Amino acid sequence: MIDVNAFLFSVLVFSLIMNLGISLYGIFWRPSLVKKIIALTILGDTANVLAIVVGYRAWIAPNRPPIPPVLTTWKPTATDLSKFSSLAVDPLPQALVLTAVVIGLAVTVFLVFLTIQVYRLHGTTDVRKIAKLKG
Amino acid sequence: MISPETLVFGVLAALGLISMVATFMAVMERDLLKAVLFSAVQSTAYAFMFYILMAPDILLVYVPVAVGLYPAVILFLIKKTERFEGGEEE
Repeated sequence: MIDVNAFLFSVLVFSLIMNLGISLYGIFWRPSLVKKIIALTILGDTANVLAIVVGYRAWIAPNRPPIPPVLTTWKPTATDLSKFSSLAVDPLPQALVLTAVVIGLAVTVFLVFLTIQVYRLHGTTDVRKIAKLKG
Repeated sequence: MISPETLVFGVLAALGLISMVATFMAVMERDLLKAVLFSAVQSTAYAFMFYILMAPDILLVYVPVAVGLYPAVILFLIKKTERFEGGEEE
């Protein structure tokens, strides 16, 4: 008997790792700088999704999903906390990813303006032509 | 009868495959405008994935950044530079 849930979850992880590979190909072997920036955003997003997948947890029962890591009681007791920690997903990767998304946006905007400057100076965004330029 | 757990993992796997196809099309497409649109499709699949993986706070940040601002900034870049990868043939 094959475990269907484990199979579907490994399909998810496989597709994410394939995304990492495809976007690395885009960064290293595609000539256009704009295409490299698009592939870089895809790479960063895929790394973020992988971090969230690492923080996910197994279901307690087939009809009992995990809950988001948000405490809904104002003064939680010890029972509330133990119930919460037995149900909620890991909040640490989510905190890291929240920071990484914003930093990725800042890096992308910086690379966009670098590319605009390259186009203004050399008149092309093709790295094969930029590599042949003198001076 | 299909259980809710299998349904959720099936939707996750389908979203993963959709994002894989969209990434492939985005990297291989020579028209950069279409590449940006495929990258937006991939970001939408990731946004649903964040929602299903119980990260609603990430979703609230990710949707405006990756579905709104990334394509907007890259469209601005394409408008300022050239549209086709590898020279202007068309």
